[in-house]
Amino acid sequence: MPCDIVVCVKQVPHPDYLNKISIDPTGGTIEREGVPALINPGDRNALEEALGIRDRFSGRVIVLTMGPPQARKALEEALAMDADDAIHLCDRAFAGADTLATAQALAYGIRKLEHFDLILCGNTTIDSGTGQVAVQLAELLDLPSIIDAEELTFEDERSLLVKRIWERGYIKVRIKLPAVIAVTAKINQPRLPTVLGIMAATQKEIKNWTAADTGADTGRVGLDGSPTQFFEMSEFHAKRQGEILQGSPEEAVTLAIDKLVEREIL
Amino acid sequence: MDFSLTREQEILRDTVREFAQRELAPNALAWDEKGEFIRDIVKKTAELGLVGIITSKEYGGSGMGHLARMIMVEEFSKVYASLGFFFQTGQIGIYILENFGTEELKKKYLPSLCQADLITATALTESGGGSDPAAITTTAELVGEEYIINGRKVFISLAPVCDLAVIVARTGERFSTFLVERGTPGFDTPRRENYPGLRGIPVGELVFTNCRVPKSNLVGQEGKGIAVAISGIGAVGRTGVAGVGLGTAEGCYEVALKYAKERVLYGKPIAELQAVQHMLVEANLEIEAARWLCYYAAWLLDQGKSPRDAGNEIARSKLYACNIASQIALKAIQVMGGYGTIPEYQVVRRLNDAIELFTAAGTQEIMKNTIGRSIIS
Amino acid sequence: MNPKVNGESQVWVWVEHHQQELAKVSLGLLGKARELCQQLGGGEVASVLVGAEELAAELIDHGSDKVYLANNPPFPLFETELCTHLMTGLIQSHQPEIILWGATSLGRETASRVAAKLGTGLTAHCIDLCIEEINGKHQLVATVAGWGGNLTLKIICPQRRPQMATVKPGILSPSPREKRNGEVIPVKVEDKTPRTDIVEVVEEQKKAKSLEEAEVVVVGGWGLNSVGGFQAVGELAQILKGSVAGTRPAVDAGWIPAERMVGQSGKTVAPQLLVTLGVSGAAQFATGVLNSKLILAVDKDPHAPIFEMADVGIVGDLQEVLPLLIDKLRAIKGNT
Repeated sequence: MPCDIVVCVKQVPHPDYLNKISIDPTGGTIEREGVPALINPGDRNALEEALGIRDRFSGRVIVLTMGPPQARKALEEALAMDADDAIHLCDRAFAGADTLATAQALAYGIRKLEHFDLILCGNTTIDSGTGQVAVQLAELLDLPSIIDAEELTFEDERSLLVKRIWERGYIKVRIKLPAVIAVTAKINQPRLPTVLGIMAATQKEIKNWTAADTGADTGRVGLDGSPTQFFEMSEFHAKRQGEILQGSPEEAVTLAIDKLVEREIL
Repeated sequence: MDFSLTREQEILRDTVREFAQRELAPNALAWDEKGEFIRDIVKKTAELGLVGIITSKEYGGSGMGHLARMIMVEEFSKVYASLGFFFQTGQIGIYILENFGTEELKKKYLPSLCQADLITATALTESGGGSDPAAITTTAELVGEEYIINGRKVFISLAPVCDLAVIVARTGERFSTFLVERGTPGFDTPRRENYPGLRGIPVGELVFTNCRVPKSNLVGQEGKGIAVAISGIGAVGRTGVAGVGLGTAEGCYEVALKYAKERVLYGKPIAELQAVQHMLVEANLEIEAARWLCYYAAWLLDQGKSPRDAGNEIARSKLYACNIASQIALKAIQVMGGYGTIPEYQVVRRLNDAIELFTAAGTQEIMKNTIGRSIIS
Repeated sequence: MNPKVNGESQVWVWVEHHQQELAKVSLGLLGKARELCQQLGGGEVASVLVGAEELAAELIDHGSDKVYLANNPPFPLFETELCTHLMTGLIQSHQPEIILWGATSLGRETASRVAAKLGTGLTAHCIDLCIEEINGKHQLVATVAGWGGNLTLKIICPQRRPQMATVKPGILSPSPREKRNGEVIPVKVEDKTPRTDIVEVVEEQKKAKSLEEAEVVVVGGWGLNSVGGFQAVGELAQILKGSVAGTRPAVDAGWIPAERMVGQSGKTVAPQLLVTLGVSGAAQFATGVLNSKLILAVDKDPHAPIFEMADVGIVGDLQEVLPLLIDKLRAIKGNT
């Protein structure tokens, strides 16, 4: 029973460079060009899960990204891991998107696909880290969704049993395809590309779709389609409150513990 | 001139780098202490297609080429030189078979070798001489449809664990190369050396006592054995050792640099002290130079140059990279002061690995002879 | 759209609860909601409570002017589709200005769906929220830390309503509780079958984790010399169910192995609670602990750099402070 899976990926700055990101003062946007980048690590877990399902059940794994031209490299890495198809949603109209506008763009792209059974995403990205896109994408496509998924098991061809992590433990949820699932980093260890996979990847075609190709309403995507906007940006300086507690050791210790309780640490 | 890596080479580099972090980094120190051959890790690299990286797809390889191989050896050697060294020695037999073996031999052994289900050791050196191949006394006498081999090879990497041996023996006035399978009566690997460096590579002897191998196990033409062996040693052995030297140097440099940026003396990181910084700069420069020598030699092979025609470039890369490896290890130890020789900081084991490289796949002096002959002719 | 001041609720809080207890994150949001109302110059705070009727009064006492109680029938908060459906209906009826959500697993999911359904903005993991007048309009300004914590960004949702934000537990302090008046408004729950089935809900004790994953890390430094070594670190870690770590000098002194070293060339940790004992806090240590949620530092030197990077600091003789700290924490945690 083949299962066609769409994996949404994002190209993010390399973790070593997160603290070297600077802000473009004119546009108030993040300077990404020239910064080494890679596939968001969590998205690789989603891709690995998809490839594992394909290895067992056959089907196609389609990788999709919305991003500037350099995001193509993320798709190449995904193809090297043995994804079947890659689609790059690339258009100025898509730029400057918040999570809803990103979900909109992805939704337009996915609606153009002939067929899919399942959409997999990473839980969060290492740069913006909102964890919202997968659910919003599901809502726009009118599909059920689960996030924080640590384990996926097929109960039958159209039904998945998902172990979803929750603060107090876990919840097992049954979900019917088609659906959107966001997976955690613990779900698997992503495979490394093989040499043959790497060589084949550069031969595979990456489809480039503009906003027009997807039939997107440009008012719903990119900066125009973003309900939220950056208002102000500054570099974060790691100075904390630095409150030195006064009083005798007894008093200071008591105060300290109160603070821990107040901040829900204890 | 375009000095950039292809996109494939970039992804390969990132892949092997990640493999090294996942599989090698957590275990390198423990493996080094134990001195065991990590056959299961070699198998994992084979599953990614790395053992067959220079072998054609027709015979079960992945055929990505020599520069890709160099990048892989470099990255592995940064973390655990013994694995890089495996590729130096274990792939010589693969190369020799593919370039000189009969179709029958190739089809029989190459796929398993590329999968690392079989491992080869390649042997010229004898107690009478290593750098002087004419001193080989192991004989192979043709009797009917078989060669009978008698002799002893010493200081052979992977001898204790190999499944196949590729050896050079005297056939009459000249020399020939043969393939011998473990389990053949009269073929033994009795001894194992205990080296202070490259401890993940077992080294020992190959002993042949009236060992009979079929005529079809002759690799290349009878009488051309030295040329066959040197071809493999040049293309794979020397380039591999160069890559191990380069990676080892880089590993030491990275550890020392990180330490120097962090260690505070006189109110600032010691990396800001001129004496320390200059040591790091020298290492930085030497590594850059070594890298380009190594990559260029590999690139020439990818362009179709024979190891003989690229002999100088290959010799330079081996000579230079192996010189700087131990020097940079020593510099790193000095940058790190009292911590330099503490095993946990993993510089001393790299120094030990580095000194094993001088005489691997041809001594430093032989490299100089090769280049010398060429420049004065 | 300007805030409706006369009698209409403006700032809502999505309430989470478990086993007859209100989630602390929700109480923190209530406090913030009251602040925002003040900054708006009036308005009301409303809570949305599913089931747990008995908690409605407590919500009012914590600052809720209204409680929309969806009790008829109640459903568990795991049913995020039902939560979404309920909220969407309520929002369309009452048009609140602002809605605050806890950035919990279930909260995030529900909030994201609601935002997408209504085509409005949702800002995640806010570290601060306030009202500012921008271009003549009162806007909710949400502050978030992005890009690995290296950038601070202020985000607004200028046009769409409601403006929504999620806040992680532990960021906001719970609002004080005092006797207050408020209104409980029952809400009819429409019949709807969710598309997912909850098969099993399992509550688990947290297992021991690696240093990088530990929720609590106790780090010992050179200052422990004065108390003869590392015992206090181990004791505290045990009481707090945390992991033991040390700085380079501690490794050098042989108190802990190198794998337990925290700092630039050691491990990077990001626990909920980091307690440093006798650690001076040099730069290379700081980089290993930057993303800790809360840092409590104990050292004898008031000028030690650690106090610039700690949230809470105790300056004192370790010989005096440590036994007190251990005893009091032990009492609270109820361990032997």
